[in-house]
Amino acid sequence: MKGSVIIAATTLGALVVAGCGSTSSGSGASGGTKSCVATIGLEGPFTGPVAPLGQEQLHFAQLALASDNTANHTKISLVQGDTMLNPAQATTVTQQFTSNSKIVAVAGPAGSQEVEAVGPLMARAGLAFISGSATAAVLTTGKYPTFFRVVSKDSVQGPQDARYIIANLHPKALMIVDDQEAYSTGLVSAMLPIFTAAGIKVDHESVSQKTTDFSSLTAKVTSATSVVVLPWQIAANAQQFGRNLAQQHKKAVIFGTDGLFSPGTFTISGSYVSSFGPDITAIPADAAIAAAAKAKYGSFGTFGPPVFAATHVIDEAIASVCKAGHTPSRSNVLAAIRKTSEPTSILGQPISFDSHGDVVNGKFFLFKISSAGKYQLIPG
Amino acid sequence: MAFFFQELVNGLTTGALYALVALGFSMVYGVLKLLNFAHGDLYMVGAFIGYFVIQWFGGPKGLTIPVPLLLLTMFVLAAVLVGGLGVAIERFAYRPLRNAPRIAPLITAIGISFFLENAALLLFGAQYRVYNTPDFISASSGITIGSVTIDSLQITVLVLGIALMLGLRQLVSRTKLGRQMRAVAADREAAEMLGINVNLTIALTFFIGSALAGVAGVMAGLLFNQVSNTIGFTAGLKAFTAAVVGGIGSLPGAVLGGLLIGLAESFIIGYVSSLYANLLVFGLLIAVMLVRPSGLLGQAQLQKV
Amino acid sequence: MSLDAQPPAGPAEAGPAEAGTAAAAGPQVGADEWVARQAGRREYLPSWLGEAQRGAERIGWWPRLAVAGLAGALLPLVGLGGFQLQVGIDALVIALLAVGLNIVVGWAGLLDLGYVAFFGFGAYGFALLSSNQIGPNGIHLPAYASVPAVMVGAAVFGLLVGLPSRRLIGDYLAIVTLFLGEAFVEFTNNVDPKTFGGPNGIVGIDAIRGFGHQLSTNTGYYYLLVIVLVATMAVLRLLETSRTGRAWRAVREDPLAAAAMTIPVNRVKLMAFAFGAMVAALAGTIFAAQQISVFPTDFDTPILILVYAGLILGGAGSIAGAATGALVVMVIYDGLLRSPADSGILFYGLIVLTLLVKLRPWRRLAGVVAATVALGFAAHAVVKAISASAVAGGPGSTGWIGSALRDWVIVPANPTVPGNWGFVLLICLLIALVQVQGRWRTILLVPVIYLASFVWETRLVTQPAITRQLMIGAILIVMMNSRPQGLLGTRRVETPT
Repeated sequence: MKGSVIIAATTLGALVVAGCGSTSSGSGASGGTKSCVATIGLEGPFTGPVAPLGQEQLHFAQLALASDNTANHTKISLVQGDTMLNPAQATTVTQQFTSNSKIVAVAGPAGSQEVEAVGPLMARAGLAFISGSATAAVLTTGKYPTFFRVVSKDSVQGPQDARYIIANLHPKALMIVDDQEAYSTGLVSAMLPIFTAAGIKVDHESVSQKTTDFSSLTAKVTSATSVVVLPWQIAANAQQFGRNLAQQHKKAVIFGTDGLFSPGTFTISGSYVSSFGPDITAIPADAAIAAAAKAKYGSFGTFGPPVFAATHVIDEAIASVCKAGHTPSRSNVLAAIRKTSEPTSILGQPISFDSHGDVVNGKFFLFKISSAGKYQLIPG
Repeated sequence: MAFFFQELVNGLTTGALYALVALGFSMVYGVLKLLNFAHGDLYMVGAFIGYFVIQWFGGPKGLTIPVPLLLLTMFVLAAVLVGGLGVAIERFAYRPLRNAPRIAPLITAIGISFFLENAALLLFGAQYRVYNTPDFISASSGITIGSVTIDSLQITVLVLGIALMLGLRQLVSRTKLGRQMRAVAADREAAEMLGINVNLTIALTFFIGSALAGVAGVMAGLLFNQVSNTIGFTAGLKAFTAAVVGGIGSLPGAVLGGLLIGLAESFIIGYVSSLYANLLVFGLLIAVMLVRPSGLLGQAQLQKV
Repeated sequence: MSLDAQPPAGPAEAGPAEAGTAAAAGPQVGADEWVARQAGRREYLPSWLGEAQRGAERIGWWPRLAVAGLAGALLPLVGLGGFQLQVGIDALVIALLAVGLNIVVGWAGLLDLGYVAFFGFGAYGFALLSSNQIGPNGIHLPAYASVPAVMVGAAVFGLLVGLPSRRLIGDYLAIVTLFLGEAFVEFTNNVDPKTFGGPNGIVGIDAIRGFGHQLSTNTGYYYLLVIVLVATMAVLRLLETSRTGRAWRAVREDPLAAAAMTIPVNRVKLMAFAFGAMVAALAGTIFAAQQISVFPTDFDTPILILVYAGLILGGAGSIAGAATGALVVMVIYDGLLRSPADSGILFYGLIVLTLLVKLRPWRRLAGVVAATVALGFAAHAVVKAISASAVAGGPGSTGWIGSALRDWVIVPANPTVPGNWGFVLLICLLIALVQVQGRWRTILLVPVIYLASFVWETRLVTQPAITRQLMIGAILIVMMNSRPQGLLGTRRVETPT
């Protein structure tokens, strides 16, 4: 059937060329001259190893867009780009966005490695990009002039959490486990010196995100170890770790970071979770959003709301450009984002950016899980 | 010493799980000489089926039927449905490639793996589904010897795993179907000439192999608690490793390989280092392969002239 | 028993059943590769298309390479944007990898599942030699020094990796190489983060520079890759037609006979690994320079799968096949399927194409098309009459496809759950379609096509990321079923072991 294959291939090729002739643009709405029309891009790991996080980010971005379009009478549409948390794919997606002249700003990417890979491209194109989860400290040292983030960085969160643990939990020995991702190792390297300086015996372990059973690791938790620090991205893994601890009758308390914030998945009572995002179900102003998210997409954790905030910042920037009478373009949207000053946001704090792109006074929220599995905010 | 036994128990339990998946993989390889990369995704489907059964009967906190009945339903349903899926895949994707070069079905298997993983993502959504086993099987039940705990779940997994392996051994060595499977594995053309219905035998082999993977998936859900569409990939890789290290095509070898990997992981994490655990396990397995090039229990490959 | 080594198989679903029944004839006793290829030669297209095919074959390998290279070089002048250039660069890197993998898998018959480790070695080697990573100011060798150094290092690495191949055969070698591939990712991720960067990788890699010039644009890298690919293919062609190439093919077919013919089997295998590693390392260096950064996750299993898919789809054993297959796979996966509009065209285009190719005579094709269109309008009207909300949603596709389908396909207001059920039903029906034959198959085609469009518009087009993976999986399955030897591969007969 060689012939059929050749005919098929030729015709397909012709179709493809025809398709390439059409601009590889997103589903841009062609509105009238009066309404504010723009397109933004969203980069995230929608499939692949961390698909749960990426899909959550996607859902919240879509929610933000829908509510902002209604509130501001804009016609902003979203183009998705799946990076699978892989920096090389992030480069391809970024090229797709920078070549698409309709896209005026980008939310994402999710990982710090991806930001490092795409930062120069975004800078060359003058495209602003706001991440809701890239927390490596090195990203805001001036290398990437168009980069912003709505969450605080590892070099703040790590020491803050470490000091809390020392002051409030008084461990004599602790175990800290990283999950071999940049986010995790960054936090560990920020926390370790503080622990060792305080004279605490630290057992530094490491697992891969693909590990599903931690019983071998929990067997190493001694009776003197009172705290286990898990700066992980995947809450379900931490839940399993906690179960293994319980099975082996170990008494250590788990202290986790943002990835563990997932009221549906991580419910080990007595654990602490430090998150860059608040529990939006507990913030009255966010009740509508939380309800909408739950109704449409099911349970969510902590990675969605920051992307909601990032998308909202972009939407507001575009709306303000339109209100000033200009057509949204990359340069004026970038300028508008730099001038962002929101008194409040879904994250329960005001949002404005410093000269390097960091959010000013990014807060961290500490939660303790009660015996009923509820997350209770620890004030101060 | 207690630590040693704890790690031993952990290693045996996870090893039993890997062994089950490796068994199914080895069976399929035996009759078709096919490295079925989609095998891990069948395991994933089984885990999801178990989750939905729990939800159907009221969810982990409000079960409407007694726990043993629930477990039985989960295992049986997963076995039957995943077995059927395996047969459908074989009929649809692998049968046309029976006489193609060995490398062609590899790509088809990869395609099916992509398809299954992402179909699960599309249909079930991306969030992790949790079994919440402690809600219906108490985490503190079980045997405690000294400071070594074996909880009832681990016991169930071990017992069921051993029962299935023994049952499979009986099937392969004593029954007519087993003889047919061995014949087809040895020489498909000759088996056909002897009147064995090759298509049916291969379909049944796929059914049994996939059913084993489905049951292993449910066990994994019970043991490891979380289910998502990507768990199949690592499991498939471990199954492939176990089957090869034990000697491909040899069923006792697959079991041995699975147990070896489970124990190696457990002890290396416990005694050496968790950071380099994977590297060291790989190193150990490479060493095993170099010492015994046809796997632990594999036969030296005859080279036909 | 016919002398055809494999039954002719057509694309898509109708193929497998026919192939299945013909394949039941079993492996051919007495057939060999020459006979199999002769059988392939009889399958020319009728009339002028066949003439064109024979003409193309008469041209010869080198002119065809020149034409392809020229086409590749002239492509940017047609007006490729930044994205298309990036896709082109990604595709060319994978094509280079496939051509190198062809040496190991296609020529020497060694199943190497850790090939990406060589790619990573090349990339990391170049990164370490051309960035600030090592030492206070880093090492910044120019490309003409670092690239050959890295390639030589990779050849040594390849020899080391090939050493187990003396004792291990077939799938056992596959598993050991798989371990090594995984071990490479683990190593670069966890070992010595100060030198290798850990999960944060190595950033700030120099561009390819030498003799005062530097490549800094995507266009430059594109041209570099075209030149490197063409040059590599030329060198490998020389290798293929040399004694070494013949030795590899002999070892692949029958190592025992090859040894009896005084071919040094072990040395030949090691050479295959070494050459494959060098090509992969070359690809790695250019990749690292173009990306400006390398991370451990860049060299994980997904890339291996893409390279293998490209190699086998294009035809293992053929240089042109490896390159073509990889280019096709990458252009579809990385380029077309990333844009929902292009995915839609590809989806509907493939359906239309399959119908065109498989449904003969014309009357049957016309009947099916007419019936599908009629079914669509009728169903839409009926459902609309019953419940307005059931057709309230518009088709997910935009542009001319969306407007054409507005009154044809049923899209409910809440499309998610019906879409999911439709998806499951579609899979079941497709499997059923393969089982039935004759008239019933033609009749079943009509609802299947309508259901496919329904599922596409309600569910798949709204999830472009997931759809991309689903479609590449489906394309792999269908293409392997319809042409197991690959697009440009030659038919082979394998002696059953």
